[in-house]
Amino acid sequence: MAKNYDVIVVGAGNGGLVAAATACKLGKKTLLIERHNLPGGAASSFVRGRFEFETALHELAAYGPKEKPQGIRQMFNWLGVDLAMHEIPGAYRYIITGKDGFDVALPNGREAVIDKIEEVVPGSRAGVSKLFDYGEECIKGYDLLQAGKLLQEVAKLAPAFVKYATVPYDQVLAELNIPLKARQILEAYWCYIGIPSDTFEFPYFAEMLVTYVENGAYAPTNRSHEITTALVHAIQANGGDVWFNTEVKRVLTQDGQAVGVQVGNDQIYGRQVICDLVPNTVYAKMIDPAVVPEHTLKLTNARQLGTSGYLVYLGLNKSPEELGIKDYSVFISSTGDSRTQYERMNTLDQNDFMIMNCLNIAVPGCSPAGTSLLYATQLYRDGSWDQVTAENYDEVKDKIARRVIKQYEDATGIKISDAVEEVAIATPETFARYMRTPNGDIYGYYGKKWGQTIARMANLDKEAQPIPHLYFCGGSSFMMDGYSSAYFTGFTIGKMACAALDKEGVKNE
Amino acid sequence: MNKNEEQAAFTKLGELNQRRQEEINAAAATDLPKTYPMNELVKALHPATQYLKVTEIIDHGPDAKSFVFAPDKDKGTTKLATFQPGQYISLRLHIGDSYVTRPYAIRSTPLQAKEGKYVLTMKLVNGGFVTPYIWKNWQVGTTVAASGPAGELFYEPLRDGKNIVAIAGGSGITPFYSMAQAILENTLDVNLTILYGSRRHDNILLGDELQGIAEQTNRVKLVNVLSDEEVPGFEHGFISKDLIEKYAPAADYSIFISGPSVMYQFVMKEVAQLHLAPGRVRHELNGNTAAPDQFAGYPAEAKGKTFSMTVITRDQSKTIPAAANESLLIALERAGIIAPSMCRSGICSACRSQVLDGHTFTPTEFDHRRAADREFGYVNTCVAYPTSDLTLKVPVHDYANQFG
Ligand SMILES: Cc1cc2nc3c(=O)[nH]c(=O)nc-3n(C[C@H](O)[C@H](O)[C@H](O)COP(=O)(O)OP(=O)(O)OC[C@H]3O[C@@H](n4cnc5c(N)ncnc54)[C@H](O)[C@@H]3O)c2cc1C
Ligand SMILES: Cc1cc2nc3c(=O)[nH]c(=O)nc-3n(C[C@H](O)[C@H](O)[C@H](O)COP(=O)(O)OP(=O)(O)OC[C@H]3O[C@@H](n4cnc5c(N)ncnc54)[C@H](O)[C@@H]3O)c2cc1C
Ligand code: FES
Repeated sequence: MAKNYDVIVVGAGNGGLVAAATACKLGKKTLLIERHNLPGGAASSFVRGRFEFETALHELAAYGPKEKPQGIRQMFNWLGVDLAMHEIPGAYRYIITGKDGFDVALPNGREAVIDKIEEVVPGSRAGVSKLFDYGEECIKGYDLLQAGKLLQEVAKLAPAFVKYATVPYDQVLAELNIPLKARQILEAYWCYIGIPSDTFEFPYFAEMLVTYVENGAYAPTNRSHEITTALVHAIQANGGDVWFNTEVKRVLTQDGQAVGVQVGNDQIYGRQVICDLVPNTVYAKMIDPAVVPEHTLKLTNARQLGTSGYLVYLGLNKSPEELGIKDYSVFISSTGDSRTQYERMNTLDQNDFMIMNCLNIAVPGCSPAGTSLLYATQLYRDGSWDQVTAENYDEVKDKIARRVIKQYEDATGIKISDAVEEVAIATPETFARYMRTPNGDIYGYYGKKWGQTIARMANLDKEAQPIPHLYFCGGSSFMMDGYSSAYFTGFTIGKMACAALDKEGVKNE
Repeated sequence: MNKNEEQAAFTKLGELNQRRQEEINAAAATDLPKTYPMNELVKALHPATQYLKVTEIIDHGPDAKSFVFAPDKDKGTTKLATFQPGQYISLRLHIGDSYVTRPYAIRSTPLQAKEGKYVLTMKLVNGGFVTPYIWKNWQVGTTVAASGPAGELFYEPLRDGKNIVAIAGGSGITPFYSMAQAILENTLDVNLTILYGSRRHDNILLGDELQGIAEQTNRVKLVNVLSDEEVPGFEHGFISKDLIEKYAPAADYSIFISGPSVMYQFVMKEVAQLHLAPGRVRHELNGNTAAPDQFAGYPAEAKGKTFSMTVITRDQSKTIPAAANESLLIALERAGIIAPSMCRSGICSACRSQVLDGHTFTPTEFDHRRAADREFGYVNTCVAYPTSDLTLKVPVHDYANQFG
């Protein structure tokens, strides 16, 4: 039996899939092990009746059109993954129903967005234009850092990145004299990362805004499951192995170094072990505690779990036209203040920030003619579901679904509750079940002020291998959550682990 | 950015990193939690495996029995998972050289599950594999492993009206029995009209018990439909559109169908004429599908043949025979491979496997695959039939102890 690998990857989430695909593309003997019978972790799909629902993806960032491929498309091209993707029309519609509320649909494209915001909030043009300038510099800043450039050089070529590196997003918008209402409109994306705008580091938010608005966002034809299945094929095509239905019980160590994994009663040896898991899980129960350095344990304790999700998936027996749905993505809340929105995510009954997606708008034909496929998303902070038990689970689940559907109907005037053909609900329990993350976490670690992308990346070299030959990729790695980020961490960590092997050269052969 | 601003920014960045180090140093070096409330809730609501023990066997005539189960505490199951009336569990059995599963609707209620009790009612299938084995071997004290509750045939308040018309044939009555009793126990808030097809009036599975429930609540109505005889007080014939209209409530209702393949084919034609909104007709196959050559699109030349199937499981491979008229799953089971499965009717995708080369046939009626699985050559082995020699990659479970 071949039980020796160069690289073993644990977990076939977005990060693990790309880590494994990268390692075998680089010629390493690679094994990817997944506990579930499907790839993808959060990134999946499921079938109910005539509908195939998307489990997670709203928007894939940093993909770009064929003629102007962005980072993720370039990576996929290199890996041999070529899928028909659909560009998502428009950025988002944001409806604030409370007092001082608004209802704005932001288009794509820098100038179109600036015009639109000026139209809704006169006097914001200069500030918003500047924001986009800064955002473009921030994209460059990340690129330079990733290319290994020193901060001094980044400061010259992308000054806004350095100048605002430690300043919260909202504060920069205020300094740019962008009126409150326009600020709120421009802060909606905070929900994709789960950090309120008064804490969110400016460069990353600005980068995200500009990436989405200028390069567009994408969705696959056949849900996330198509991307993850294509990645499995890329791994196999490059000689890698993928084992499903296989749970890694332990990370094996010898002399304080990771040397492989245990599945069932089998020990499988690997020169590098990359885990696409929340590190807490590994340190708490998958590895000899004696080999976990004190610094690592403290770092893990100092961090805070991020956010979990609640989704209502709806297959409707009317078309978007019949229902009057025009927008792909609608954000709704009673307040435009992201701090308040965030605080309410700690509660089951006050949380009124929701996103409703209608996939047909971005991917026509994603459900049969005469139907539409919708999903409503809410985020819940770690701990907010802790009091839910087997006894009241159904009741809580049902109550929130009704509230969310009503909130959407009230805010848009679109009636959907009488057209339900299929319905499914995912809660933090569902995510805990399918991803095995602590408390159903879907966003990795919360970004405390000292633990967002800049601080994480600055410490990457030091923290990438907490235990020799053990690495982490995915949502809890050195970026924040998100498909592109998870792919990117898999790519970077995969390359790093391979480079280390090349350096060791023949000595371990 | 001028020099001063740049210097200030670098200082801030330095401070940020210092803050990070301080936060880390100040944190506890204590062990991390081993589990969290949501992960515990998963164990209660969706256990991967439940170990059960037979505590009582009830005879219903010569060809049907009910088995009452309690959690098998010796194997670590202390509570039974709750479920939606209408859901099933899939039993895992090791018979001879074969590891097989069989789904059975839970005939008891969530309230009884809370008290540590599941009841399954089975019909003996002549020429069957599992039921004859059970008839012969199971006694009080027998232990068995099962999946957690699964299945989509249940009342969903966000979708269904308050009225359900249930259409059942044979052992397909079990999910509706659970619903009826849950209504009586006040844990299910619907009105249920059961149109129940049987052959003869003196051989209606759970007939008296159901009648007993219907007599205690006006929310459950029972209509027995006999195919083989005419008896006063019973409907006669098959369950038709007219019969459904005769008994269905005037108000908005959903139709749930559970029974063997032949009944389903017949009933669906009748139901179609009622023009209910899509989503208001739900069904679950209860029993085996017909032979594959009965379905449209079957390649006639494959009929009657036995193919050679190379099965890759992790780092092993084995070549086994695969008969054209049996599903890939059965071929795997016959060969003693512990292949994953649960619903055995193409719905749950637990049996998803990758066809590396060769051809298979999946009847459209049972093809509930994800689009990308179709695109990339994955099949659900329980409803896929070989039509050539083939190579199949099967994700065997790492836990052999899933079989009791
Ligand atoms: C509802 C929702 C909406 C989202 N929307 C977006 C969006 O619009 N855009 C965006 O970019 N991102 C979005 N995200 C975030 C994104 O999905 C995640 O950040 C990303 O997919 C995380 O990937 P990961 O690599 O951390 O892996 P995970 O998804 O956490 O996968 C980990 C894998 O490891 C497996 N595993 C666990 N334990 C073991 C073990 N012991 N042995 C073997 N395998 C194991 C699990 O089964 C799982 O498959 C969303 C997420 C959710 C849930
Ligand atoms: C959702 C659902 C719910 C159900 N609920 C109920 C219920 O409540 N009550 C009930 O009575 N039934 C129920 N059923 C039906 C039940 O699952 C079984 O199909 C039924 O009990 C017949 O099983 P059997 O093995 O006796 O017969 P069969 O499945 O007909 O047995 C014969 C089959 O076994 C195969 N076989 C023969 N030899 C071997 C071997 N050596 N290894 C492997 N396979 C072999 C044959 O190829 C043949 O296909 C339900 C089915 C579903 C899908
Ligand atoms: S066992 Fe459920 S789809 Fe095959």
